[in-house]
Amino acid sequence: MPNRSGQLYGLTLLSPILDDPRATPSHDLQIRAYLAKLPTGEASPFALAPGTHLARLVVLDDVIYVGMPSCEEHLKSKYLVFESNLDGDLDDYLTTLARTVPADLDAIWSHCVGYPGATDPVAFVAYMKSCQLDTTFYFAAVNDRTLPQSLRALQTQHAVTRFLADHQGLSKRSTDPARLQADFLAFAAKLAAEPLPRPGSSAPYRPIKTGGHNE
Amino acid sequence: MSNINGKVYAMNVITPMRPWKTLILRALFFLLWNLKPLQQDLINLSFIEFARWVIIPRDAFPRLARAQREEVLRYDYLLFFSNFNGTWNQYIDAFSAVLSRGLNLIWRWSEKFPGSVPVTPFKDYIARVQFDTDYYYTAYPNATANDLKSAHIVQSAYDALAARAQTLTPAEFATAYANFVLTVQTHLGETGEAPVAC
Repeated sequence: MPNRSGQLYGLTLLSPILDDPRATPSHDLQIRAYLAKLPTGEASPFALAPGTHLARLVVLDDVIYVGMPSCEEHLKSKYLVFESNLDGDLDDYLTTLARTVPADLDAIWSHCVGYPGATDPVAFVAYMKSCQLDTTFYFAAVNDRTLPQSLRALQTQHAVTRFLADHQGLSKRSTDPARLQADFLAFAAKLAAEPLPRPGSSAPYRPIKTGGHNE
Repeated sequence: MSNINGKVYAMNVITPMRPWKTLILRALFFLLWNLKPLQQDLINLSFIEFARWVIIPRDAFPRLARAQREEVLRYDYLLFFSNFNGTWNQYIDAFSAVLSRGLNLIWRWSEKFPGSVPVTPFKDYIARVQFDTDYYYTAYPNATANDLKSAHIVQSAYDALAARAQTLTPAEFATAYANFVLTVQTHLGETGEAPVAC
């Protein structure tokens, strides 16, 4: 099933954007303005709702003309592209998204044709699935781990690196097996008690750049 | 707009294809999907976290209301979305150098595709058919695909040691710990902010 790779699901949506000449600014610009201010770190709606590894939202203004001798053609509508790489079942994911961050979803998709709102998760899921395109080929580098497992593994890797650095060389705590074992057990107990890192956390501050494709 | 979040770059590409060529491309993707050894080059390009190709038939753009004007198109379209670590130029260079045969098989059905070698016209083509990302989220912005793979190797080795650390004698633990260090020592890269050229 091309939408799936192992435990992961590759969701691709194309939602037609309202074309209303009376809207000022136009609906696509209103989406872009909202997305430009939407947090990308821990406060992102995709961090608050569980299960998203990576996601993007893109306004597709038109198809691209590649030059003669191909034919030039244009779309009648603009489309909002939603690409998400998620854990588990699509219906559960969309339902949880609707229940967790309905205001953000409404602010974005209310500019799209036929959007029913997120207050009714059943209608929301049906709408999103009506915009879905089947993925033809899907690749995930790590496709057998959930998001919590990956976050935990990164946390463990970081902690283990510190532990090994502190226990190398010829000091007593490195060469005395009983001391090393006691330290490791204490370390393991402390690591087990630590909360899971929050999705999107530690994102470095990065002002928006508009340097084009090659930035 | 930003195509970058932390250490990952979001690329979006759309190319037109004549509908009869779409059938050939679907067959190729079917083979690529079902013959895993054919994916080895893609796996070996270990800076790709996620990638996907989506074929949109010319009559399959979602139309959700009568008031929405129906698309009238001659071409089917191939969408490509990639999430990769590094810069745009590194990515395209690596694609051209390592995956040229595979990429040619996928994109040769798109109009005006120049081939992935030589790299200069290939870059010109990708730059022309790329469109920018408006919003980009990643749950682990400071980690690359290799960091993730390494982290899971460390986690597995750590879990195995932690599960029996309590029951081992100090001498047995010292041996198990040494083996643990040997297993994880090449997977301890530090995650953090990407270097930024000013």
